Amino acid sequence: MPASDTKRQTYAVDAIPSDVKNSVFLGNPVVDNVVSCVLALAMEVWSTKRRLKVVEAVMAQHGVTNDMIEKFAPTEQQKVEWAKDRDSFIELTLGSLGNQGTTSIAADFPKRG
Amino acid sequence: MLARRTLLGTAGASLATVSLINQASAAADKPKAMPGEYIPRGVDGRLRRLATLDLESQQDFTLGFRQMHSRAVRTASGEMFARALAARGIDPATPITRDQLREIVEAEPAINLASKTWLANQQITWKTLQDHFHKYADVYLTEMEMADKTGPGKLELNPALKIPDSAKHEIHIQPGGYVGDPFAGHIYHYGTNSFYAATVGYNEQDQIQQGMAERLPLPKDGKVKRILDMGCGTGQLTLMLKERFPDAEVWGVDAGGPMVRYAHMRANSLGNGTNFAQRMAEDTKFPDNYFDIVTSYLLHHEVPGEDTRKIVDEARRVTRPGGVYYPIDFVSGGTKMIPNQMYGRWWDHRWNNEVWSFEYHAVDFNGEIAKRGFNLEKNAKAVLPGFGIRHAVKA
Repeated sequence: MPASDTKRQTYAVDAIPSDVKNSVFLGNPVVDNVVSCVLALAMEVWSTKRRLKVVEAVMAQHGVTNDMIEKFAPTEQQKVEWAKDRDSFIELTLGSLGNQGTTSIAADFPKRG
Repeated sequence: MLARRTLLGTAGASLATVSLINQASAAADKPKAMPGEYIPRGVDGRLRRLATLDLESQQDFTLGFRQMHSRAVRTASGEMFARALAARGIDPATPITRDQLREIVEAEPAINLASKTWLANQQITWKTLQDHFHKYADVYLTEMEMADKTGPGKLELNPALKIPDSAKHEIHIQPGGYVGDPFAGHIYHYGTNSFYAATVGYNEQDQIQQGMAERLPLPKDGKVKRILDMGCGTGQLTLMLKERFPDAEVWGVDAGGPMVRYAHMRANSLGNGTNFAQRMAEDTKFPDNYFDIVTSYLLHHEVPGEDTRKIVDEARRVTRPGGVYYPIDFVSGGTKMIPNQMYGRWWDHRWNNEVWSFEYHAVDFNGEIAKRGFNLEKNAKAVLPGFGIRHAVKA
């Protein structure tokens, strides 16, 4: 990407790209890809947590203290809604751990009827 | 801790930058600003803060991951490597070849988890930075265009410069390398901050370069009117040399136009009068015997061995008699290595894309300097602890 998408003078020239994107370290490119995804997801989780810390710090400056947040008691209705959201979140992110795959990629359809 | 006033330089600090920040700050006050949007966020000492909280947090993650990786993952990998050697009956104290090393590594995927995770972290370090600077390319290009024409130091850009292929590699897998991205300087500076913070604990205030500038030896007559920093990159050492010698004419040269452009913009923002030029280290265009001190930082292990010889030739030409030549780079120790050393060096070469590192280590650096009319100082000291000692004085 020598010059962004601009016709302006950038003083950049074409580089010789590294081949790191084609590397396979873990025996299977799919596994490599999954590891890359985990790193990126972890980075995004931390970014979100850090933003939350900033939000809480700013709120504290405006009178909403951490003590108020920690001691906040949800209503019964909130408890039900949040539990539902939690279960959806866990099912979405970790539900596949319960999969028990037995069909290989080359397998034909099972006989029906 | 360095004083903010000192770090920001004189009252002239960054008129152009401040102006842009003010304009953008006014825009940022509008209620439509969303999380992740560009909002100039001021400075932390001499470092301009990254322009979004999320980008700053992403870099914070990559820093933290590097620290954990060094502490835990690399240690585990080292232990696995030792077991792999033992299983093959290889003596860990006897040098091995690159081919022997590769054979071991290829057969041990567990070791490679350390490699994969380190690289994945390195990739997201660069990608998040590059994505940001390209997303706001108009803002950042305008800022550099404004700085190009202002001072206090000079900037010489040369789009016609013939840059050899050897300088076009994506060293450290930085996308575009040092010459191929309009924001190579921005990306390198913030990306290496993460690297320095994780390895030595700090460098956001250029403390490493400040220490080197302070320890750089002077000519015996004490005269320092002109200084050259070859392959100056983002100019962090160059700026610190100017701060140590404010009355000297200080130059930084680099093949990368985006690099010297960023260095110049940053010099302006710090009220620092260093001059930067897009020129090759082996052909600096300066007159013979022009400089009292000639230095470089981490240049030579990034160029072919033959270019190191040419650069030393050029250093000899532009250093005045009695002047000091002190290139700062890693200890170079030949090509025979015990397995652990070979693993580290081969891996850095192959996968961190240190394309020329093996050539660098094959060069007898001090020998090449001594051949060219320099006298090597006895009892010289390392300007950067743990790095090579190459204190030469032109005869």
